[in-house]
Amino acid sequence: MDLEKLRKTAAEIVSRDDVKYLIGWRPGSFGYRVSPCFVQDAAGAEELIFSPLCASNLATYLTLVEKLPVPRGEEPDRRKVALLVKGCDSRAVVQLLVEKGIEREQVILVGLPCRGVVDLNLLQQKYPEGLEKGELSWQEGGFQLIRNGETATIPREEILAEKCRLCRYPNPVLSDVTIGDPVEPWETEADRGVEELEQKSVEERWDYWEEQFSKCIRCYSCRNACPLCYCDDCILDRLNPIWINRAVNFSENTAFHLARAFHLGGRCAECGECERACPMNIPLGKLNRKLAKEVREKYGYEAGVDPEAKPFLASYNPNDPEEFIL
Amino acid sequence: MSESFEPNIVAFLCNWCSYAGADLAGTSRVQYPANINVIRVMCSGRVNPLFVMNALQQGADGVLVSGCHPGDCHYMEGNFYARRRLGMLKDLMEFVGIDPRRFHMSWVSASEGHKWKEVVQKTVDDAREAGPFQGFRRRQIDW
Amino acid sequence: MTEKPKLGVYICHCGINIASTVDVEAVTEFAKGLPNVIVARNYAYMCSDPGQLLIKNDIKEEGVNRVVVASCSPRMHEPTFRKALQEAGLNPFFLEMANIREHCSWVHGDREEATAKARRLVAAAVAKVRQLEPLEEREVDAEPAALVIGGGIAGIQAALDIADAGFKVYLVEKTPSVGGRMAQLDKTFPTLDCSACILTPKMVDTASHPNIQLMTYSEVEEVSGYIGNFDVKVRKKARYVDFDKCTGCGECAAACRMANRIPNEFDAGMGKRSAIYLPFPQAVPAKYTIDPENCLYLTRGKCGKGPKCAEVCRAGAINFEQQDEIVEFKVGAIVVATGFDVFEARKKPEYGYADYPNVITGLEMERLVSASGPTGGQIKIKVEDEEIVPKEIAFIQCVGSRDKSVGNEYCSRVCCMYTAKQAHLVKDKIPDANVRVYYMDVRAFGKGFEEFYDRVRREGIHYIRGNPSEIFKRGSKLVIKVEDTLTATPMEDEVDLVVLAVGLEPRQDVRKIIDLLRLSQSPDLFFLEAHPKLRPVDTATDGVFLAGCCQGPKDIPDTVAQAKGAASSAMIPLARGKVKIGAQVATVNENTCRGCGFCVEICPYSAIELVAVNRFGHPVQVARVNEALCKGCGSCSAGCLSDSIQPKSFRDRQILPQIAALGVMR
Repeated sequence: MDLEKLRKTAAEIVSRDDVKYLIGWRPGSFGYRVSPCFVQDAAGAEELIFSPLCASNLATYLTLVEKLPVPRGEEPDRRKVALLVKGCDSRAVVQLLVEKGIEREQVILVGLPCRGVVDLNLLQQKYPEGLEKGELSWQEGGFQLIRNGETATIPREEILAEKCRLCRYPNPVLSDVTIGDPVEPWETEADRGVEELEQKSVEERWDYWEEQFSKCIRCYSCRNACPLCYCDDCILDRLNPIWINRAVNFSENTAFHLARAFHLGGRCAECGECERACPMNIPLGKLNRKLAKEVREKYGYEAGVDPEAKPFLASYNPNDPEEFIL
Repeated sequence: MSESFEPNIVAFLCNWCSYAGADLAGTSRVQYPANINVIRVMCSGRVNPLFVMNALQQGADGVLVSGCHPGDCHYMEGNFYARRRLGMLKDLMEFVGIDPRRFHMSWVSASEGHKWKEVVQKTVDDAREAGPFQGFRRRQIDW
Repeated sequence: MTEKPKLGVYICHCGINIASTVDVEAVTEFAKGLPNVIVARNYAYMCSDPGQLLIKNDIKEEGVNRVVVASCSPRMHEPTFRKALQEAGLNPFFLEMANIREHCSWVHGDREEATAKARRLVAAAVAKVRQLEPLEEREVDAEPAALVIGGGIAGIQAALDIADAGFKVYLVEKTPSVGGRMAQLDKTFPTLDCSACILTPKMVDTASHPNIQLMTYSEVEEVSGYIGNFDVKVRKKARYVDFDKCTGCGECAAACRMANRIPNEFDAGMGKRSAIYLPFPQAVPAKYTIDPENCLYLTRGKCGKGPKCAEVCRAGAINFEQQDEIVEFKVGAIVVATGFDVFEARKKPEYGYADYPNVITGLEMERLVSASGPTGGQIKIKVEDEEIVPKEIAFIQCVGSRDKSVGNEYCSRVCCMYTAKQAHLVKDKIPDANVRVYYMDVRAFGKGFEEFYDRVRREGIHYIRGNPSEIFKRGSKLVIKVEDTLTATPMEDEVDLVVLAVGLEPRQDVRKIIDLLRLSQSPDLFFLEAHPKLRPVDTATDGVFLAGCCQGPKDIPDTVAQAKGAASSAMIPLARGKVKIGAQVATVNENTCRGCGFCVEICPYSAIELVAVNRFGHPVQVARVNEALCKGCGSCSAGCLSDSIQPKSFRDRQILPQIAALGVMR
C-alpha cells in the first residue's frame, strides 16, 4: 500500500478551498484499533492509514453528520466532503447517490482497491489484543502482523472477514482518484452462512433466529453503523403509529430485525457494518445477504453498482417473478 | 395442535378488484370460512409489507394480500409494486422461519367471486395446518 | 381536531339479509363496550330515511362525532352515509363502514361464527374511525373545451354535440380527411340508407362549425394533466400542400407521375391513387396531401425535371419545405373515438385470401358495390385476366370473430347484418346471381334486423349452416369445402366470388392511445369502460370517455348513441366549469421526508415532485403532492422508508389499529 501517495493526495484535497474535510482512517489508541478521522488540513493527512484493519465503512458519516441549524444571515457550509472508499464502501456511496441521499458534486471519492479486511474477532483469537499497538498489512497469501517489534505471518483464510470472502467488488465501483493498482477479484466462496440456513427446515430456521433475536438488546448499533439507514426519524422509533414497542423481548426484537432487513432489501451494499457493530454477535449480515441474493437472482438487480439505476423498491418489471401468487 | 384450532386471518384487499370480487362472492352467496377478516385499501400497492409482519405480530395466524391481475390495476402499476415488495418480504419471512403457509398473495378480479372463495379456503387451510402462531405474538396489543 | 372521539355505531339488519345470520343485538351490545363508543344501535334498514335519521339525530343530540355503520359494502352505500353525516353537520369523512353483509352474513352460514366475525369487523372499524381526520373536497376550474380523438362517425358526432352546446372542440384525425370507416361503406343496414349521403353533411359541419377546430392529418403526441385541465400536444403532419392556398381542384393528382400506381387505402387497396391525393371525392377538408412515403420528390429528392404537381398547381400551394407543426392547447375532457381495424383475413389461410384475388373481404365488397368505388359500383371481378360478372357468390360469416384459434372470442356484431345487406345488394345488381351465406348462427338482434334478415332470405339468398373448412381453386372456379350441419351433408360448392365477413378488431396502433391516456383494455383488447353496465362510456381515467368501436364492435346507431353519451358525459365538467378533486389524497410530512424520490418514481400519475425547502438553514429536497393529480392509491406510501408520505384516510396510523383490533378480537 502506497501510504505516501494516499497522504499526499489527501493533503492536496483537503488544502482545496472547496473541501470541508476528508474522512479517513488513522491508528487507534491501542491494540489493533483503527479509528475514523476527519482530516481538516495537510498536517492531519499525515496520520492517515489504510490497512486490513480498516474495516469500517466511512460512507456512514456522509449522512450521520448532524446538520445543525444555520444561524440567521449565515450560509450553510456547502463545501465538499472527501472520503476514502474500499469497494464495498463505494457501493454504499453509489446507493446513496441512487437515493439522492447525497449529491455527486458534494463528495470526492478517493478509491482504495482492497484485498480484504480482517475479522477482528478472529485476529484476536489468534493474537490477543494488548495495550501495545499492532500493525497489520497485506502480503502475498495473507497478512503480516508487526507487534512489539515482532513480525508474524497469518494465512489469509484464517482471519479474513466473512464479507470479504464473499466480496465481488474489491475495487471501488465509483471514485474520483484511485490510489494503488486495481485488485484482481478473487474466487468468491459460497455463502455458507446463508446456504446452511436455507437447507434447514422452516422450524429449525425459526429456532435459530429465535435464539439470535432473543440476544438483541436493541442498542440500535446496527442501524447507526449502516450507511443506508439514515432516516432522520426512523419509523421504528415513532410513537404514532407505533410499529414496534420499546420493550426488549423476542417479539419486538424480531419485528425490529425483520423491518430493518426489509428496509435494506434491494439497497444493502453488503459492507457488513451492521454485523460488525453488533455487540451481541447477531449474524445480521445473513439477513441482508439473503435478500441481496434473492434480489440478484430473481430480479436481476444489484444495489450500489450503478448510480443511474432506479431504486429497486421504487421500480418494477412487468415480468417480475410471481410463482408465489395464488 | 388442538383439533379445534381456527386460524385468524387478516386480509388486505384492493378496493377495485379483490374487494369487489369478495363483494361479488357475497351477492352470489358463495360460502367460505369466517376466519378471514378484510381490511380494505385502495390498492394492493398501498400494502406496506410491514403490515404483514405487524398483523402476524398482533394476533393473525395468516395474512392474505390480494389485488388486481397484472395489467388490470385501477392505478395501472400498484399491483406490480406490491408483487415485488411482497415477494421480497415472503423470501425474508421464510428465511427467518415463518411458515410460508402463513402468508399468501393473490390476484382476484371483480368478477372472480368463486376464485375469492378458493383463495380464502386455501389461505385458511394453510394457516390451520401451520397452527397457532404464538411465538411472535406481541405481549400486549393496544389499539 | 382536538375534540375527543365520540362514536356512534349503527348495525343494520338489512331486513333479514344480515339479521338472519348475524345476531345484531349481540353485536350492538358488544359495540357499546368498545372504546369511545357512546351510542350503539341497530335498525332494519340503515340506508333508509329513518335509518339515516337515527345517525343524524345522534350527531345533533348526542354529540356523536365519529360514525361506524355496519351494513353492506362501502362500495354500495359509503356515499349515502357520507351524505347523511354531512347533512347533520359532521365532516363526511368521519365515517367507517364494516361490511357485515357481502363479507359476512351472505357468505357464512353458522350464526355463531358470523356473529363473531361481525364483532371483529365492527371492532376494526371502531379502531379506524377513531383515527380518521376531517377532509375537504376541493374544486378546481375546468377548461371549457374538449379534445376528440378520431374523426369517424363517433368522433364527428361527439364533436358536433359538444360544439353545439357551446364548447370549444379540437377534433384530431390521423388521416387527411374525416369520415372514417362509415365513409367507406356503401349502404347501411337495415334501412339501406346511402352511407355517404347521411354522413357527408356531418363531415362538412365539423369543418364549418365555429366551435370546432378540425385538425386532420394530425396525431395527439402528449397528454398530461387531469380532468378539467388536460394539456394536449398535437402534431400536425406536413401535408406539403399549403392548406390555405389549395383549392382542391385535383389537377396535381392527375399530373402526378405516380398517378394510378399507389393502392388507395380508402378503397381497401382495390383502387389506385396518386402520391398527391384526396382520399375520396367527398373528403373534408377538400385539401390535397402528399404521401411522403410514395412521393418521388420526397423519397428520392428528384421527380423528373421537377415535381409535376408543383408545375400544374395554379394556386402555388405545393410546398416541399413544409414541416410538421406542434400545436398545444388545454381541454377539460377527452373523447376517444379511434375506431377499429378489420380482421386481417390472411390469418385464416384456409380461406385463401392471400392466394385468390376473387376471395375478398367484406370491406372490399363495400367498395366494390359503391358507386364511388373503383368499379363505379359494378360488381366485376378478374378471373384469369378476364373481367367477369360473378354469378355464383358465397359469403362466409364469422371470419375472425367467435374464433379462439385467432384469439378473438367475441362476436363482431355487424357482420351478420352487413353480409345480409351485401347479399341483398348483389341480388339487386345481378338479379340472376346465386347467392349463399355460410353461417354459424345469424344474430339479428337490433331494431329492424330480423325483419331485414327475413326479407333477404325471401329474396332468394340461401343461408347454409356450416363453417367452411377450406377454399381451393378448381379451373376458373373456387371450391368451398363445407359441411351443411343442419343436414349433416359434406359438400363442395363451386363459386366465382367469395366474400369473407371479416370481423372488427382493436386498431393496430391501440398501444399508443393506451400509453397516452393510461387506458386499460378488456380481454378482447378493446378499451375498457369504467363499468360494463353503469358507466359504459367512462374510463378509469377521469375526464376521458369512449365512443364507438374503440370500446367494442358496434353498428352505426349504437356508435352514434355512444358518441352522444360520451359527449354529454364530457360536457358535465365543461358545463359546471369546475371539477371536484378527491379528498383522499397523499400528503407528505416534510419534516421527516428524506427526499430520496422513491415516491416520485413510484407514482403512476406523476403527481409527486421533489421540491427544495429550507430546513433550519439547509437546503433539502422533499416530496410534494399535486393533489389534483393524486388518485390516493397509496403506492407511494408503502414504498416510503420513512413513512413520510401517507394517503389520507388510509394512513399507517389508521390501518395499524385495524390490524390490532382484528388480532385482539380473535
